[in-house]
Amino acid sequence: MPALGDRIRALLGRRSEAKTIISVQNDRRVVLASILLLLLLGLPLWWTTTRVYRAELPVAEIAVFAPDQELTVPFSFYIDAPSMTVATEAIEHMAQKLIDEQRTAYTPDEWRVRYTARIRHKAAAPDVPGHYTLRLREAARTAVDFDADRVAHVSISESATKRDAVVAKLVADIVAKEEHELREKSGARRALKYAPEYSVAFTLLNEDPVGGAAVNWDIEHAANAFVRPFVDTLRPLAKLAVSTQVLHHAGPPPVKPLAHENGTYLTPDMLPHFANSPWWNLASTDPIAPSINFILYVPALQSQPLRIIDDAKRTSATNAFVVSQWGGIAIANLPADTKAGASVVISSDELQKYFGIFIAQLRELVGIRNDTPLQPSTRVT
Amino acid sequence: MYRTVKRMGIPDSHIILMLADDMACNPRNSFPAAVYDHPRKTLDLYGDNVEVDYRGYEVTVENFIRLLTGRVAADTPRNKRLLTDDKSNVFIYMTGHGGEDFLKFQDSEEINSYDIADAFKQMWEKQRYREILFIIDTCQANTMYSKFDSPNILSIGSSKKGQNSLSHFHDYDLGVSVIDRFTYYNLEFFESVDLSSKQTLADLIAAYNTSLIQSDPGVRTDLFARDLAKTYLTDFFGAVQNVELTTEAFPIGKSK
Repeated sequence: MPALGDRIRALLGRRSEAKTIISVQNDRRVVLASILLLLLLGLPLWWTTTRVYRAELPVAEIAVFAPDQELTVPFSFYIDAPSMTVATEAIEHMAQKLIDEQRTAYTPDEWRVRYTARIRHKAAAPDVPGHYTLRLREAARTAVDFDADRVAHVSISESATKRDAVVAKLVADIVAKEEHELREKSGARRALKYAPEYSVAFTLLNEDPVGGAAVNWDIEHAANAFVRPFVDTLRPLAKLAVSTQVLHHAGPPPVKPLAHENGTYLTPDMLPHFANSPWWNLASTDPIAPSINFILYVPALQSQPLRIIDDAKRTSATNAFVVSQWGGIAIANLPADTKAGASVVISSDELQKYFGIFIAQLRELVGIRNDTPLQPSTRVT
Repeated sequence: MYRTVKRMGIPDSHIILMLADDMACNPRNSFPAAVYDHPRKTLDLYGDNVEVDYRGYEVTVENFIRLLTGRVAADTPRNKRLLTDDKSNVFIYMTGHGGEDFLKFQDSEEINSYDIADAFKQMWEKQRYREILFIIDTCQANTMYSKFDSPNILSIGSSKKGQNSLSHFHDYDLGVSVIDRFTYYNLEFFESVDLSSKQTLADLIAAYNTSLIQSDPGVRTDLFARDLAKTYLTDFFGAVQNVELTTEAFPIGKSK
């Protein structure tokens, strides 16, 4: 385009210059230089402004991440050593280290229940349920002898420092074995999957108020006295939202109880179908949190007293059973002299018995051993 | 099928019902709020306790695949999620218009067998099932399960490739055919089964009568590990819960 070239040259003040070879070569150099400049500056600019953002995985942070929502359950060990001096704190530290070393990492579905050892000298009559007693004595060889009722007779022949290590290892082994057993439960006895929030629903189910009695319960006081301490202790681990309801006319269960000379009974193979009634409205009020249902079932008057008789022909002491992954059911029989049409209120004392059962079932569903208290009693030193 | 599983004890919290059309409450239904399977109108399939989880326009291919794979929106309520884990047996029943390798959704889209096979593969990777029973009642239904290759899936289809699945009784009061043959004979078999039944899937499949169903039902068992003669119907259709007797109560109020 010669006209354009002339105009540019006119602009640059070189009107009358003819196109010499040098000026053409100059022009070529200018063009080449500008193309190179474009590529040199332009390509990196385009690359940095149009590439896909990729975030780095913070591997170092992940490696040290340890969520601190754990529930610590202390196992109480009482040492009875009349002839030796035993340093309980040292043993506790050593045992704790050994237990923590042996523990495998938690999977995301597991409840983080950490068992620890709490070692004390034996005082008079400790009443903490589920404790172990270790009786130490001097002997020629080191040996451990387990007795019924969680008493271990330990004969130690080592010197004082080694003695502590031996006791610590024994304690650590016992606690680790318990924890391992609880975590490895599979199949029917598996604990619930871990979720940070659960909705626990207690239902009083009355089968037949018309031919029987109208039932109610003193639930507010009972829930505050019996359920709240457990819920509060579990708070660092999971939030349990407790709700209660009464179903006044629930209708019969899907399985009809068998007749007995003194009432009716259920056998263990009838129990799986017991809670499957489509008419019992056990729908959860919480749309997001998974639910655990506990039912206190009051049978119709003609079926009372309703008992559960297991395969060995023994009557169940608690009349209750756990439905794995769902909740638990306890059967409440009214007093024998209840007449049809009466109005019965289940008092706090009776509710204490039933809630003891429900708390035991809840502990099993969560994966805590049943007889270990979550907070040891402070009375015993 | 919904009626059957509810009768056998599965609660609504464990059933996801997707109905694209509301036939029971359709203004053209002369018997409102009832769905019958026979012109004699002896059995009301709709019942009096129905919970529909996905209705009308919510029944789409995307929602179905999201439901199976678990990629639902964060605010989806629990009754619209598939909350299964690696110990769950999942029973999936699909019916409608279909053809070779596809099933029609909502008159405007189709789900094909590759989609379902991929969804099942994702479910297996994420351990969302232990066993799946997949029953499908459409024309050329057996093609729908030909693409599966994840383990532990048992598939039953109503008709093979090139065959139509026919509908059963024509109800002259309503003016439509009320049920498909394959579904009708399944329902008839299940009416004699209850909670404590020990009948197996082999019994169900042996009860299929090709001349009555007027198509060839197919079964695909190569992905299924267990023997059909030892797989109880209640494994999939009934709710059998694991139960453990509580031996002692926790001493609350005493030692605390």
